[in-house]
Formats: sequence, C-alpha cells, structure tokens
Amino acid sequence: MSRPVLVRREQVLRGGQPLAFGIGLAVALVVGVLLLVGSGHDPLRVYERMFEASLGDPRAWSVTLNRAVPLGLAGLAVAVAGSMGLWNIGAEGQIMAGAIGAAWVARIGGDWPSPVVITAMLAAAILGGGLLALGPAIARARIGVNEIITTLMLNEVAIRLVQWLIHGRWKDPDSHNFPLAPMLSDNARLPGLFERAHVGVVLAAVVIVLFGVAASRTAWGYELRVAGSSGATARYAGISLERKILTVLVLSGGVAGFAGGIELSGTSDRITENLSNGFGFAGIIVAALALMRPSGVAAVALLFGAVQIGGQSIQTMGVSSSVSTILQALILFGAIAAGVLSRYRVEMVAGDTTGAIR
Amino acid sequence: MTEPQQPAATGGSPSDPESGGAPAGEPPAVELLDVWKRFPGVVANAGAHLRVHRGSVHAVLGENGAGKSTLMNVLSGVYRPDEGEVRIDGVAHHFRTPADALAAGVGMVHQEFRLVPSFTVAENVVLGACNRIVRRAAVESAVGALAERFGLATEPDRPVWHLSMGERQRVEILKALWRDARILVLDEPTAVLTPGEADELGAVLRHMADDGRTVIFISHKLHEVTGFCDEATVLRGGETVAASLSVADTDATQLAGLMVGASPLVTDRPPSRDAGEALLEVRGLRCLDDRGLAALDDLDLAVHSGEIVGIAGVAGNGQRELAQAIAGLRSVESGSIHLVGEDRTDATPRQRFADGLGYIPEDRLGVGLAPRLSVTDNAVLRTYGRHRRGPFLDAASATGHCRDLVDRFGVRTGPLEEPIAGLSGGNLQRLLVGRELVGGPRVVVAAQPTRGLDVQGVKAIQDLLVAERDAGAAILMVSEDLDELLTLADRLLVMHAGCIVAEFDPATAERRAIGEAMIGHADVTGDPVAPAETTADR
Repeated sequence: MSRPVLVRREQVLRGGQPLAFGIGLAVALVVGVLLLVGSGHDPLRVYERMFEASLGDPRAWSVTLNRAVPLGLAGLAVAVAGSMGLWNIGAEGQIMAGAIGAAWVARIGGDWPSPVVITAMLAAAILGGGLLALGPAIARARIGVNEIITTLMLNEVAIRLVQWLIHGRWKDPDSHNFPLAPMLSDNARLPGLFERAHVGVVLAAVVIVLFGVAASRTAWGYELRVAGSSGATARYAGISLERKILTVLVLSGGVAGFAGGIELSGTSDRITENLSNGFGFAGIIVAALALMRPSGVAAVALLFGAVQIGGQSIQTMGVSSSVSTILQALILFGAIAAGVLSRYRVEMVAGDTTGAIR
Repeated sequence: MTEPQQPAATGGSPSDPESGGAPAGEPPAVELLDVWKRFPGVVANAGAHLRVHRGSVHAVLGENGAGKSTLMNVLSGVYRPDEGEVRIDGVAHHFRTPADALAAGVGMVHQEFRLVPSFTVAENVVLGACNRIVRRAAVESAVGALAERFGLATEPDRPVWHLSMGERQRVEILKALWRDARILVLDEPTAVLTPGEADELGAVLRHMADDGRTVIFISHKLHEVTGFCDEATVLRGGETVAASLSVADTDATQLAGLMVGASPLVTDRPPSRDAGEALLEVRGLRCLDDRGLAALDDLDLAVHSGEIVGIAGVAGNGQRELAQAIAGLRSVESGSIHLVGEDRTDATPRQRFADGLGYIPEDRLGVGLAPRLSVTDNAVLRTYGRHRRGPFLDAASATGHCRDLVDRFGVRTGPLEEPIAGLSGGNLQRLLVGRELVGGPRVVVAAQPTRGLDVQGVKAIQDLLVAERDAGAAILMVSEDLDELLTLADRLLVMHAGCIVAEFDPATAERRAIGEAMIGHADVTGDPVAPAETTADR
C-alpha cells in the first residue's frame, strides 16, 4: 500500500511566478475541457471563440483592455497594501465609493468643459475610495484593528450607499420610477483611444508604472519594503509604522476609487449597484498571482480581462458564463499548486498512515 | 509512521563489522559514516563522522559553518546526505522527513522553539502526537509525570506565552520525550538560557543519559561541554577533526584549538584609556516590560568617552529594556536619557542615530536587519536618507556605500542585491555592527553583540568595539558572557531586578562576588560600590 506524501525540497525550484502562472493556466484549460465536454460542448470551438472575442483582433483587444483596467487597478490597490503585509479586502466597496464621488462631480459639473469635469471626477473618485479606507486605516494604525474585517465590512456599506442614492435623491426623474441614476452627460465621458478602448487604459497603465517606480526606486518605497519585512526593524530605522499603515491603506483605497471613477466615466452609462462587478475581489486574486508586484499586476490583469471577455462571448454558444468564472478560479488553484510544488515534491512511500505535508 | 528502511544497495547491515566498537558488543546508538552534503557553492559536510554510545551525553563542537547543523539535520531527517550513511542502533536508515527520524527514535530540539503560545504546556507537548480526544486532566497529569521523571520542572496547565525561554525549552524537550525519542539532538540549547538555567539543563541531560537515552548537544561554549558532556566530536570545515574525545581526558584549550585549527586566540585585555566626558547619562530611569510590569526601577548610569561599560546580570533583569530605552525603542515612564550632553529622553530612534548613537540590538534579524531585503537595502537602513536624490534613492550611491561597508568589515556575502537571508550568522552580525560603527558613533549600545558567533566572529566583533572605544566612543555592552565582559569592559556593572546593584573593576573583580551580585545578594563580598552616586556623578 503506497501513498503520496509531499516532501520539502531543499532548494526552491527556479523559474518563479511566470512559470507557476503558465502551469495554472494550462491546468485551468485542461480542466475546462472536461467541464465543456461534460456539458456537451466542443471545447476547441469554445476556446477558439473565447480567444477571438478577447484577443483575436483590435476590437477584441480594446474590449479586453477596458476590462483589464478595473482589474489591474483593483489588483494594484491590493498589492500596494500587500507590499506592507496589509490586506485590503475592501476594493469592491472602494470602487463604489470612487464611483459615487465621480458621479457626484458629474451631476454638479454638467456644463463644465469636458477635461475639467473628467479631471474633477477622477480626483473625487480617488478621494472617495481613500475616504472609505480611512476608517480601517486609522483603526489599524492606532489600535491595531484587523483591516481585513473592517475593509470587508465596508464593502456592504458602499453598495448600500449606492442603492440608497439611486432609489432616492439621485433617481432619474425621467426613469418612470425605476431606481436608476440619470445617464452621464457627454462631457463626463472619457475620450476614446481606439475601437472601444478609452483613455482609462493609458491612465491605469501610468498609475501602475508610477507605483512600480515608487515602490522600487524611491525612499518611500524603500521604507515600505522595510516595514513589510519587519515592523520592529522599521521602528529601529526610524520609520513611523503608524504613518506608513495610514498612508498605504488610504492610498490603496484611493487607487481602487480611481478604478471606480474610470469604470463610471469610461464604460458605464450611469452609476449602478453592479458597477463594481466583483472587480475588487478579483483584484485580490490578481495581486496574489502577481506576488504583490505592480509589474505582475498589469500582466495578470490583462490575462484575467481576456478570460472574462472570452467567457462572456461564449454565452451566445449556449455556454454558461460561469465557465469563465470557473476558469479564473482554476488558474488561481493551478498557480498556487505550482507554487507549492516548487517548494515540495511528491513522493510515493509505502505505509498506512494518512498522507500529510511533512 | 514508516518502518525503518533497510538499506537497498548501499550495503551495511546490523552485523556490519564497522559498526562494532561499542562496549559489550552493543552497536552505537548513533553512527554517521562518511557523510557528504553539498549545497550550491558550498560543501557543508565533507566526509563527517559521528559515533555516539547509548546513555552518553555527546557534544558536537565547531565554529559557525563547520557543518554541525547540517550534520544534525542529516541525522534528524531534515536533509538527506549526498553520500554516507545514518545508522541508529546499528541499523541503516534513510530518513525522508523528520517524522521518519522520530519514528526511529531521533528527536531534535531546534534553536527556535516551535510552540503554540496560546496553548498550555500539556497541549503543546501532545499536539500532533495524540490521536484520540482525551481528557485535559489526564493529559496534564501524564505530561506532569513525564516531566517529573526527568526532573524537568514545569506546570502542565500554564499557557506557553507565560513561560521564560528556559521553561519553553523544557517544553520542547518534553515534546521529544513524549514522542519517545531515545536520541535527543539539541541545537545550541544554552544560547537562550541564563547561566543558572544552563546548569539545570545540564542536570536534566545527565538524567536522561542515566535513563539510557542518548543526548547529542551542539554548543559553542566550551565550559558547558567540559561540564555536561562525556565525549566530544569536533567538526571543522565539514570534516570530523576529532571523534569521540573523552571529555575527561581533554580540556577547553585543546578543544578550542581543534575548533579553530590552531592554538586558541589568547585575548589580552586591551589597555584601558583614561575615560573622558560622560557621553551617555541615564538618570532615574523607569520603564515597563512587554507585559506592563516594571522592568527598570530608578536606574542610574553613565558611560564616558573612551570606556566600555559592561552590564552583567541574569537574563530578564532589565538589560534588554535598558538597551531598548536608550535606543529609543521603549517608552520611558520617568527619568532621563542624555546623549552627548543633550536631553534625548523623548527623541526618536532616528534623531538619536543622528546624535551619534549606534545600537546593536539583541535580536539581529527581527530588529537590526530586515531579513527579506537585500544586503544593500540593509546596509543603508540607518542612512538611506543620505542616498536620496529628490524622492528617489540613488541606487549607485547606496550600492557604493554597501560595497565599502562589506569590504571594510569583511562581510562575506553573495551578490549585494540578494536577500541577506543567505548570509551566515557571523556575517550578518558583521554587516549590522559595521553599519552601526561606520559613521563613527559617539555612543554605542551593544546588546549581546557576540552571542551565537563562532570564535573568529566573536573576536572580530570584539576588536571592532575596542577600536571604537579607543577612538573615543562611549560603549555600553550588555552580555551574558561574563568572560567577555571581564576581558573587554573597563567597568562592570551588575543588574538585578531593574537596578544597577554593584560595580566592579574587571581587572581585580572576583567572579564569585560578581555571581553573588547577579543573583541579588545584598551583602556582596567583593568590592561593589553603591551604584547611583558613583556611576552617575563620576
């Protein structure tokens, strides 16, 4: 009677995260084949359709890029906090808070010139997201309240806030009493880039690059790395941990809020309670796969965007859009498994006790 | 648990003639034969041997990097040897995991304890080795009985976070005994213990050996080896240079010689200089410890330019808190701290560093260095503000500074961009001490600066501190190694219960008197002086 056990490797396999990610993708696609065959579809045709719809031509690319923007920014928001060992699980709500801020500016700025109103909207979005993260940030920095719980709970608050607004004060008088906010006026919409893509793609890329540079090249990023490595060492080096936690969590919220502003101004007609669309939670996966690094966030977000857009496109073939959700989850599982296997190897041993990680 | 694996093709069986030599034909409890273990760029074990008889306490000695830990990891199933054989009671084993080794009776007590702080002693002991749900009282009494049998004083129902380091170590030993380890490997067990606790441990180890168990004891401290052990094996450069020396037939000088490969370094007392102005003055200092209890109680002390003041004391009498308070890492309840004549009681650690305070913390990797960061990042931890260009860190300037530091202080390191986690203990400390000394500090607080280092590492760090003193710095040195303090210090202060209770002249002091002061005996038969006036107003 032999059984598999995981044995720790004396040295971690080289190749790193891109390889783990590739393995994760391969595992996801293989398991996806089983799912599709099991539900009576031709997996090759489905995958072909997914590819064409997401990366097949410039138009497909433009849609994928638009989708990668909120994913990437939410991923960045989580990664900024994660680089200091903090978990911002509230990006979903902060996206909503950002959208509320942007929508509010759009309401009052209906007759402002377009560049002014858009700039103000995005600034308000950053402010809104940062404001929602401020409470958890203060609680964590001052008295050590677990930010995972507080940020998570505030998601619910932000979504209820949007519902309250669109059922009440912000309800469109011309909506025949449907709980809908009015459409954005044209001056509040982000200019296009190519095909369906909007300039939010460029803005998101700039923000990600800026953070990448700030994290790796500036004194601020250095302090962040020290604080993330060991809080006691940071205190020893004269870095105020309290202030760092505060700024990092608020900044993280601001980045997520920025995503909400772009999403509202770029792809949504109006603020709705579904605007955040799970981007905040997907951002956690994006950041985890990217090992909390800005450069990785961009790549992972693009891939997740393609999988999501591809997943939507196959609904016309009668395939449930859940397939795309399952694929995203499988990529994560596959990548995590590959990460584990870079540190452990599987061995068959004779014996009768239960298998366990030794 | 898996059964012991009989050797496949490598030969070697219980009746192998090589395994003989034990008294009355009994095979040795532990035999490691020609063990080779290579890591990229390093040969950690190059044909090391070890033979330990049942019922003995056996020391494994060697400098850092001599291959002791690797060899013990081979024995306890953490590593697999590239070549060579592990035999337990004459039977060859191929351990895959520490659990395999434990099944064969080999239990390891690691330097870092692996305990759940919120669990009780009994819960920690039986954790993972207790399949059924059992009554708490039954487990506690069983653990209590086991502890009593081996003279390990402990309270089974106390949570582990309440316990001192020495008590935690006893829990680790109990864990191994509970799993019926017949062979106990202790990796530098006395590094975290007070001298008294170390002696108690020695008695416990003897008890276990008398019980027929086998104890393998890794240490740097020669007097412990000669005090506790029956035999010693010395490793140097991955090889066994002396196998199973009878401790009765050897002495510390010979062992030290075998470790370093030449006659031991005789540390002459560096000549003292006349002390100058007081650069560090502490007056009426009161601080709390982590649990909120009084750690320092109206403590006075002064350190002058050009002198090393040693702080001796049993661990846990406020030495740690004193060093932290001076460094600005522990808040002060009352009293004052003056650095170079200025009141710096409430200054931040960074201000104090700017004032010329170098601080070598006790916890190197948790406080003094950032383990996940690169060598360069760690080298500029104190001074990164000086390598700025606008908001940016000037990588070239930081690397240049790091390169200077590494060269000047002889830090052996790989690429400077790699995390410091790969550096040996001695090199980590050189990097840390170098970083604190490179700017020419006026005051240096060194907490346990040589603990856990090998002979050459100790010497290097001590020389650096003496050179700094000779350059006019005021040095406060906290150490648990009394020999070190007697060698280096110009004045020796003894701490007990948060106060300085006695001052000695290291050149003339009697060890017995210092020991008495350390355990808080009021009427000390040495030449102690009432501390407050003499130290502060000198």
